[in-house]
Amino acid sequence: MASQDRLSAALIHAITVAPAPQPVTPLLSVDNLSVSYGRQDVVHDVAFELGRGKSLALIGESGSGKSTIARAILRLLPSGATASGAVRFGGDNLLALPERRFRPLRGRQIGFVPQDPGNALNPVRTIGAQAMEAAELTDEPNASIRKALVLETFAQVGLENPQRVFSSYPHQLSGGMLQRVLIGLAVLPRPALLIADEPTSALDVTIQKRILDLLSRLQHDLNISLLLITHDLAIASERTDSLVVLKNGVVQEAGKTSSVFSSPTSAYARKLHADVPALNPDRYARLRETGLRLRSADEAPKIEVNAVRKSFTVDGRTLTAVNDISFAVAPGTTHALVGESGSGKTTTIRLLLGLEEPDAGEISVAGERLSGRSHASLRAVWRHLQLVYQNPFTSLDPTWTVEHLVGEPLDRFKVGTPKERAERVREALANVGLAEHLLTRKPGALSGGQRQRVAIARALVLKPDVIVLDEPTSALDVSVQADIVEVLLSLQAKLGLTYVFVSHDLALVRQLAHTVSVMQQGSIVEHGSVADIFGNPQHPYTATLLESIPAGITNLANTTQPKPREVFRKEQIA
Amino acid sequence: MSNAYLTYAAKRLGQAVVVILLAYVFTFVVVSILPGDPITSVLRNPQNGFREEEIAEIIAAQGLDKPIIVQLWHSLSGFLTGDLGISMRSNRPVSTLIAEVLPSTLILASAGLAVALVLAMLVAYGTRFVPKRYGQGLLRGFPSLFLSVPNFVIGLVLIHLFGFQLGLFRVINPDSFWATLFAAIALGIPISAQIAEVLIANLDKEAEQEYATVARSRGLGQARLFVSHLLKPASLPVVTVIALMIGELLGGSLITETVFGRTGIGSLVQRSVSTQDLPVLQAIVSLGAVIFVLVNLVADLLYPLLDPRVKILGGRKRQPTTADETSIGPTRVVMP
Repeated sequence: MASQDRLSAALIHAITVAPAPQPVTPLLSVDNLSVSYGRQDVVHDVAFELGRGKSLALIGESGSGKSTIARAILRLLPSGATASGAVRFGGDNLLALPERRFRPLRGRQIGFVPQDPGNALNPVRTIGAQAMEAAELTDEPNASIRKALVLETFAQVGLENPQRVFSSYPHQLSGGMLQRVLIGLAVLPRPALLIADEPTSALDVTIQKRILDLLSRLQHDLNISLLLITHDLAIASERTDSLVVLKNGVVQEAGKTSSVFSSPTSAYARKLHADVPALNPDRYARLRETGLRLRSADEAPKIEVNAVRKSFTVDGRTLTAVNDISFAVAPGTTHALVGESGSGKTTTIRLLLGLEEPDAGEISVAGERLSGRSHASLRAVWRHLQLVYQNPFTSLDPTWTVEHLVGEPLDRFKVGTPKERAERVREALANVGLAEHLLTRKPGALSGGQRQRVAIARALVLKPDVIVLDEPTSALDVSVQADIVEVLLSLQAKLGLTYVFVSHDLALVRQLAHTVSVMQQGSIVEHGSVADIFGNPQHPYTATLLESIPAGITNLANTTQPKPREVFRKEQIA
Repeated sequence: MSNAYLTYAAKRLGQAVVVILLAYVFTFVVVSILPGDPITSVLRNPQNGFREEEIAEIIAAQGLDKPIIVQLWHSLSGFLTGDLGISMRSNRPVSTLIAEVLPSTLILASAGLAVALVLAMLVAYGTRFVPKRYGQGLLRGFPSLFLSVPNFVIGLVLIHLFGFQLGLFRVINPDSFWATLFAAIALGIPISAQIAEVLIANLDKEAEQEYATVARSRGLGQARLFVSHLLKPASLPVVTVIALMIGELLGGSLITETVFGRTGIGSLVQRSVSTQDLPVLQAIVSLGAVIFVLVNLVADLLYPLLDPRVKILGGRKRQPTTADETSIGPTRVVMP
C-alpha cells in the first residue's frame, strides 16, 4: 500500500514540522489580558495558564467576556476592539507579533471550532473546497495527498461517506455533521492548541454528547491542548482539567476542575452551580408540590389530546409530523413534551393552539373541543389558552412599550374599561415580579429575563387556565433561566395554572414538570410521571436522552476519561 | 439538471411569453386611444403632398380602415411572425430599419455594462483594501456621488476632456474604438454606481458572517478571503440588480447616443417620435419589452444554478436523516 505509506508519511510530516515548545513552560499563558470596545471594558485583567495536552474551560454567562478572550487569543477581535496584556504561546507574545508572523500560527498551531456550525462554513462553496484550505496548512505539496488527508480526517471524526461530504454544500448536512466537519478541519493541521467556542450550544442534546466525546477523544489521541468555552458548568466539569469562572470580564474563581466544582469558594461560582438544572434536580420540589396540592383529586383534565395525527404533503410525499399521539393534563399540573429537533413538538403546539387542524383525533381544552371550529369561536378558546414563545428577543414588538405589550390581549378581547385594563396590566406585571417603572420602557431597554417576564405577563393578563410554554428559557442564561422557572412555578402554585412545557432540556423538565411525554419522530414513545420516566426509563430513546444530560463529575477520580461507547457511532449523510 | 429545474424553466418561459404579448397589446391600445389621429395628420400634411387616392390606398394597405380589434390581430400576428409592418415615413420595412441601427446600440449597451461591472468591482475591492487614511471613505462615497450625476453630463465632460482637450478621439467619427469606449464609460458610470452600492453593502455583510471569521482562523489572508469566500456570495444579488437595470441601460444608451452623435436606436426613436411614425415606435417599444423580459428570464434561470441554497418549490426534498437532526442553515425558496 504505497499510497497509504505516503499518507502516513504526510501525517507524520505534519506532526513533526510543528516546532515543539519548551516542555517546562505552559503552552499558553495569558497575563493581565484586558479587552475593550472603545471605552467599554469587556475583559479585565484575566490570567490563566494551559499546559500541553491539558484542557481548560472558560465558563461564564453571556457578557462574561469568555468568547472575547478566545477571539483575542486568535486575534480575530472585531475592528474597534483593543487588547492589552500578554498572551504567550510557545514563547511568543501573540498580541505583539506582527501580522506577517502571526498568520502562519493560525490554523497550523491554533485551531478554532466555532459556536454555530450552521453559519461557520461558506454557504455557496462546497465543504471540500473549504477543507482543502485547511489541508494546505500541512504544507504537503501534493494536492491529491492533501485531498486524501481531508477524507481521512472526515472518517476520523465519524463522518460516514467522506467523499460525499467533500462534495456537499453546507446546507445539505445536519448541524451535528457540520460540527464534525469543523472539528476535523481544525485538527487536520495538528495544532498544538484547539479553541472551541461553545461548540455544542446550537445542537440537540444527544448530538451534543457525541460531539463532546469526539473532542475529548481527539484531544487525548493527538495530544492537543483544549481551551473550551462554555456556559454550562456541568459540561465544563466533565470535560476539562481546570476551570476559570468569569463574570463581567473578571475572573471570579480559577483552579482544578474537581476542587472548583465540588467546593466553589466564590459566591458567583456557587450560584452558577446552584442554577444548573442538571446538578440540582430537586431544587424546586417544594414549590412544585405546593402547586399540586391545590387541585382537587378528581377534576377533569384541562387538556385532552386523543389519537391525534397530522401529516404534511411536501412535493407529493407525505411527512407524518405527529403520529397518533394522546396525552391528558390534569389541572394545576405541568406536562412536559420532550424531544429533539424534528420530533413533532412544534406541530403539537400548533395543533393545541388551533393553528393547524388535525387529520384525525380530537383535542379539547378546558372541556371545549378545538376541531371544526370557526376562527371566531376559536378566539373564545384562546382566552383560556396562551402561549409564551421561546425567544423573547424576537417575540416582542420593539417599538411598543411594556404597558402596550402586556395590555394588548385585553384590548383585543375588549375586556373591561380602560381603567380596569390598566389595573390588570399592573397586576400581571406584579405577578411576574416586574416593577411598575418599567411600564413605559420598550423591549430594547430590558434584559433577556425581563423580556421573558413581559412575555409571561402578556400571557397571564387574560387570566387563562392553560399556558403553553415553548422552550421559554432556551435563549436565556442559566441564572436567568432559574429566575424564570421560579416565577413560573410560583404562579402555578398561586393561580393554579396548567402548563404544557415544551423543551429539549431534560434536566429542566425534571426540575419543574409533573408528567412527561417523550417524543421521537412524531410519536410519543414513552409517557408517565417525572419520577417514573427519570428513575426507570423503559424506551431506549428515553435512556439515550437521559444519558446525554451532562451530569458534571460523578466520580472525581475519573474526570477526563471519555466514555468509549457511542464515540465511534457514525452519522449518516442525507 | 433536475426535473424540477426544467419544470421551473418551462413555467418561467411561458410567463415571459405572456408578459411580452401583454406588453405588445398594451402599447397598441395606448397608441390607438391617444387623442388626435397621427396617421391622417401625417398623411394629410400638405408638405407630404399625398393625393386623396394615394391616402386611401395607404390606409387600405395598412388596414387602418378596419375595426381596431382586427388591426390588433393583424399587428399581433405580424409581430409573432417577425413582420413589424412598414414605416409610414420611409415606406421601408420596420425590421430593416431596426436591424440597421440595433448593432450599434447593442455594442454600446454591452460595452457600458462591461465598464460598469469592472468599475463596480474595482470600487468594491478598494473599499476592502484601501486603508481608511488613504481614501477608503472616498470610495464608499462613490456610489451616491455618481448616482446623482446624470449620464449626459458625464458624457459632455468626457467629450470635452478627452475629445477636444486631449484629442484621444475625433468627435466627428463616433463609431471609432476610442469614441465608443468613452461613450461606454459615460453610460457605465451611473450604472456601476448602483452595482457598487449593492456589492459594497453585501461584502460588508458577508465579511461579518461567522464563516469569514472561521476562514480567517484557518490562516487565510485578506486577499484570499475576498476572492474565494466573500466575492461569490456578495455578487449573487448583483445578478438581480443587473436584470432590473437593463431598462436604465437601454434608456441611457439612447441618451448617450445623442450626446456622442452615434446612429443607433436613439436616433431612430427621435426621428420616429417627431414624425409620429407609429409602426416604428410600436416595434421599438415592443423590442424594449422583449429585451427586458428576456434578461430577467435569464437572471431567474441562472440564479438557482449559481446559488446552491436556492431550492425550487416542487423539487425533490432530501430524505430526513436518521442519525442527526434535519438540516439547518438558510434556504431560499423560488416560487415557480
